[in-house]
Amino acid sequence: MLGMIPAAMLAAACSPRRDPNALVLWAMSYQGDYSPYLTTRFTADTGIPVEVQSIPWTAAHEKLLTAHAGGVLPDVLMLPNSWISEFQMIGAIAAVPSPTLVSGLFPGLVEGSRISGRDYAVPWSVAPLVQYYRRDILEDAGYATPPVTWDGWRTMAARIKRRRPDDHVFLALVNYEGWLFTMLAQNGAYPLRERDTRGNFRTPEAREAFAYYASLFRDGYAPLASSTEIQDPLAAFAAGQFAIWEGGATWLLDMRRRAAELPPERWGAARVAGPRGPGPTSAKDVSLSVSTTSHRPAEAWALVRHLTSSESELRFATMISTLPARVDAWDGLDIPPRVLQPFREQAHDLAVSPMVVGWERIQIEVQLIAERIVRGLMTIDEGLAEADRRADRILAKRRSLVESGRIA
Amino acid sequence: MTPQERTAWVFTAPVLTIITVVFLAPTILALALSVTDYSIYAAADVRNISFVGLGNFGELFSTPLFWRALGNTALFAVLGVPMAIGASLFAALLLNDASVRWKPFWRVALFAPYVTSVVATAIVWRFVLNTRFGLLNYALDLIGIGPVDWLGDPRSSIPAILIFVTWKIFGYNMIVFTAALSTVPTHLMEAARLDGASRWARFRDVTLPAIGPTLLLAAVMSVAGFLQIFAEPYIMTMGGPAQSTVTVLYFMFDEGFKWWNLGQASAVALILFVLILAVTFVQTRIGKRYEWL
Repeated sequence: MLGMIPAAMLAAACSPRRDPNALVLWAMSYQGDYSPYLTTRFTADTGIPVEVQSIPWTAAHEKLLTAHAGGVLPDVLMLPNSWISEFQMIGAIAAVPSPTLVSGLFPGLVEGSRISGRDYAVPWSVAPLVQYYRRDILEDAGYATPPVTWDGWRTMAARIKRRRPDDHVFLALVNYEGWLFTMLAQNGAYPLRERDTRGNFRTPEAREAFAYYASLFRDGYAPLASSTEIQDPLAAFAAGQFAIWEGGATWLLDMRRRAAELPPERWGAARVAGPRGPGPTSAKDVSLSVSTTSHRPAEAWALVRHLTSSESELRFATMISTLPARVDAWDGLDIPPRVLQPFREQAHDLAVSPMVVGWERIQIEVQLIAERIVRGLMTIDEGLAEADRRADRILAKRRSLVESGRIA
Repeated sequence: MTPQERTAWVFTAPVLTIITVVFLAPTILALALSVTDYSIYAAADVRNISFVGLGNFGELFSTPLFWRALGNTALFAVLGVPMAIGASLFAALLLNDASVRWKPFWRVALFAPYVTSVVATAIVWRFVLNTRFGLLNYALDLIGIGPVDWLGDPRSSIPAILIFVTWKIFGYNMIVFTAALSTVPTHLMEAARLDGASRWARFRDVTLPAIGPTLLLAAVMSVAGFLQIFAEPYIMTMGGPAQSTVTVLYFMFDEGFKWWNLGQASAVALILFVLILAVTFVQTRIGKRYEWL
């Protein structure tokens, strides 16, 4: 009996909660750092204290998984939309109890994360991609706004390159999968097949997207650089080292903070170019879920409702430049209309992306292959075959489970 | 069972129980896991586990990143063990000199890094190694060496981490060597000096044979330690740049805890175990040849 005392003291010391009455919220990065600004209001209104723990993205997945295994998940947790199916599968998150929580959002945002007709998370923000462009560099080449077709992009790139041979036109970091997967989505190349159990990269659409991607590097329009070489893209953008950057709304925050480096009149935003004009891209961002181990699900859902209200989402838009998932909140955004318009259009044009475990790894692997292609170590066709091979391997377990009918 | 044996069992039982629960059982379970495809699907439903025999090992050997991790780990050990032991021995020899004053102070000061938290010191060293504002580059600049991108360049990332690791751990072996050096027979040393042996000859022929066994022990422990290096690259570089600091243990951590492929991760653990066993075996053989053991 005496031997139990140290163990009990240890357990008490390790307990993640300091205030036993508090709801616990885990959120990543900026959302984690700034959530206390939103929860004070919730506590004032309901009397329920909230403890927020901010988690770095780089350690988030393992922290959530080990917490689930140890049965210590918080009441409310933030998840990127691509993890929802995984955490639903292992039984970590509860179904959304009321349809009103997920109504009034951008069409496609909720539907794209639905699992067997049920919702398990409430989207917190939407992350449409746009092309940021250097107004002055484009004007110099005879463009008021950037072209929105692939051919147009190349024509513009050739003109800029003639005037500025030492700089580049696009910055598509070779260790970042966004550009390639946006091109795949815009060209209608859905990356998986057979109920998402195999890779689907050896298609004419995927080949076309890969070829276009590779052509930007081959012709010197994009530098063969990774994020370790260009650590501060905004500084490089301000210095005119490239003229087009594909990114989300979070860049607006950096632009605002560093307006001295790059004044607002020198840049603009437009929809990302597609093969025959702008097309659907993935704009999934992050959502909030309630864990199945929460002892107070009703209060936890009340917190989710508060955090995902138009008012809260607008506060976040001001503080950390995320875009509200609620359509009606957009009217309250303090962003110049000419900048906001492309975001709004893209948020209404969402691509469907796979919702399976392993999809994240497949994207990383495919980007490694794409890097080998643009470095000339592989032909496009070899790369596509290799992409299918690696996707098939990552999905092998899922395939066997789907074939034996164990998972849908 | 004699009463004496019974008493012996009673005394050892608590320790044996703890070893079984926290060491033996998990080891056996990990061995068992390494022949299954335990993954995130098994976390959803345990019936999703299946026996795959040596499949995990086959898959590992065809994974380029695993070989890369093995190579990086080997580099850590090959560069790190001489660096760490050399620094320890050098510091111990310095402190052993009769002319050094304030010996206890120096011992504590040089031992202190070893007992500090690895996470805290690694973060401090990230600032020391910073390309633009770091103390190290500032010092190099004073002697005319241009800025080195210590943690951002794949070629300098391992040496940069090793500088930190050496600083962190050399104090421990320094204390061990200090103890060993006090056993060097003074009469032999004086005889050698009278015979006109140089400093180096006295070190090679008198000091080294006397501390040989300690040196071997330190080498074995250091190799085992460097083969398991994880926290330093995890905190300082996250395995980057360009996966140049992904070690075997880092790879295992990612597979096991990030992606929840615990079957695969257990296979990595088993391979690492066999590797360390093999290296230790070779070192012991060398030690026996020189009659250090």
